[in-house]
Amino acid sequence: MNRIKTYSICFVGIFICCGFAVIQHKEVLFDYPEYWPKPAYDFSKLSMTEEEFQLGRHLFYDPILSRDNTISCASCHLQATGFTHVDHDLSHGIDGNIGTRNSMTLMNLAWSTSFMWDGGVNHIEVQALAPITSEDEMDNSLEAIVEKLNASEKYKTLFYRVHNDSVVTGQKTLLALTQFVVMLNSYNSKYDKYIRNEAGGEFTAQEKNGLELFRTNCASCHKEPLFTSQDFKNIGLAVDTTLNDFGRMGITANKSDSLKFKVPTLRNIQFTSPYMHDGRFETLQEVLQHYTTGIQQSNTLAPELKNDILLTPNERVDLLVFLRTLSDTDFLFNKRFNYPNNY
Amino acid sequence: MKKQFFHLWLLFFMGFLLMSYSEEKRLHIIIQPQFSSERVAENTWYVTENNDSIQFSKLRFYLTNFEIEKKDGTRYSIPDSNFLVDVFSEETLQLKFPDVSYAKGDELLFNIGVEKEMNTAGALAGALDPSNGMYWSWQSGYINFKLEGKSPSCASRKNKFQFHIGGYTAPYETTKRVHFILNAPNEPITLPLQIDAFFKNIQLKDEYQIMIPGEKASVIAATLPKLFSVNE
Repeated sequence: MNRIKTYSICFVGIFICCGFAVIQHKEVLFDYPEYWPKPAYDFSKLSMTEEEFQLGRHLFYDPILSRDNTISCASCHLQATGFTHVDHDLSHGIDGNIGTRNSMTLMNLAWSTSFMWDGGVNHIEVQALAPITSEDEMDNSLEAIVEKLNASEKYKTLFYRVHNDSVVTGQKTLLALTQFVVMLNSYNSKYDKYIRNEAGGEFTAQEKNGLELFRTNCASCHKEPLFTSQDFKNIGLAVDTTLNDFGRMGITANKSDSLKFKVPTLRNIQFTSPYMHDGRFETLQEVLQHYTTGIQQSNTLAPELKNDILLTPNERVDLLVFLRTLSDTDFLFNKRFNYPNNY
Repeated sequence: MKKQFFHLWLLFFMGFLLMSYSEEKRLHIIIQPQFSSERVAENTWYVTENNDSIQFSKLRFYLTNFEIEKKDGTRYSIPDSNFLVDVFSEETLQLKFPDVSYAKGDELLFNIGVEKEMNTAGALAGALDPSNGMYWSWQSGYINFKLEGKSPSCASRKNKFQFHIGGYTAPYETTKRVHFILNAPNEPITLPLQIDAFFKNIQLKDEYQIMIPGEKASVIAATLPKLFSVNE
């Protein structure tokens, strides 16, 4: 009988110790303006903890994801330029290889219903597999990454902090990356403050006129407040015969999707040059030039562009001035999103 | 004290006897990969019905969403019953369901491949973890059935053939719901996999590579239930 007592005391003791060993997780909040639509992403697989956010942040900035440890997500997605690859029409990756498309911006991704210019990726959690396996980007496999991470003391510790288990799996790796990129939200631009009637959101007459012009000519595809309809459109760009990229049709094999590409958000567009899926325009002036005088007619051209967009030189200037109000310095310089020196 | 324990043991023992006499059996399936009734092995020559000589280097596929239908029509879905079978990895040929029992005459249903819902559900775990080499990256979705090898009939590099069968969007779905009756008298249940049936309608000199979803993949997927001698 005494022995039983001793055993039970030991057992209770061990149980209490376990209680202390369990890591206290700090929650992260997914916040957005209450007048925005509900996110498309279902957050249920994420732990929504600071630990998973920081793990994802480390992975995002770590070239360990590439075959030869040279390329990280941040190589083509730089925070200061809205998480895209500034100054490169086509993004380059491993061994200096050049890909076939301009890297996309990363922001407000929880509202995105498909990913990549052709929408080939159907879910944010599996998006990272595309650059990981692309021969011109990271040229790696998730299997190899999991193996590398399982051999890394640093990552075993970071995964343990999230899951109370240091074993790294493909799913856990992808979820951590998701936990980081899904938090990259931009909703504090001057435009947002104008909509919310907040200090700093006072629009000039020129900006107001630009917004009106935008709503008349652009907003049906670049729909507020996310500035994208998440749709695929052919915007009448001439085919670049060095690439012969037919966009969405490559995924659906449907002729009616020929030359259609995802409508990108215009948030932070001042900093995300160059523009279009192949980065053919370096400036926003060139983009407006295309929409007003450069549309190529074809069967799949967006119906919104069937009629000419007419803008006077002054109206163009007003529109460009308005587009600058979509810049969100809180987002572009948010220290929580930059290289993880401090964690 | 001792007497109490004895009673307890007796109860256990009787329960055990009762269980072993009942008609319920534990579900355990063994897949038997064959080529014209020969046991299939890696890098061994076989001849197809169309007289192509072939060797296999890889044969992996998903069997998922198992369900038992009792004779009275009631159905039970076995939770998380997703298997990635690798024909050349012996232990994956054993599908064990330690918590699932059945009676003779019950029907077993399952998918060859992964259903649409799981193709659009992001990153999953276990057999469905995208790190298992059965997930497309440039176009999201699982490869349901992967068969690779070589044949002198193939005009490809190193005479390789590669069939990666997948795709979940209409009209080119490749996942097949199949069923068969559990009336095998002995346990575990053996499920023959007739790989020769795969090549019945394939001329390897014309067709040796399918790596994307689409019409060709869906045509091949339609023949997969025949490999397992199950009903669609």
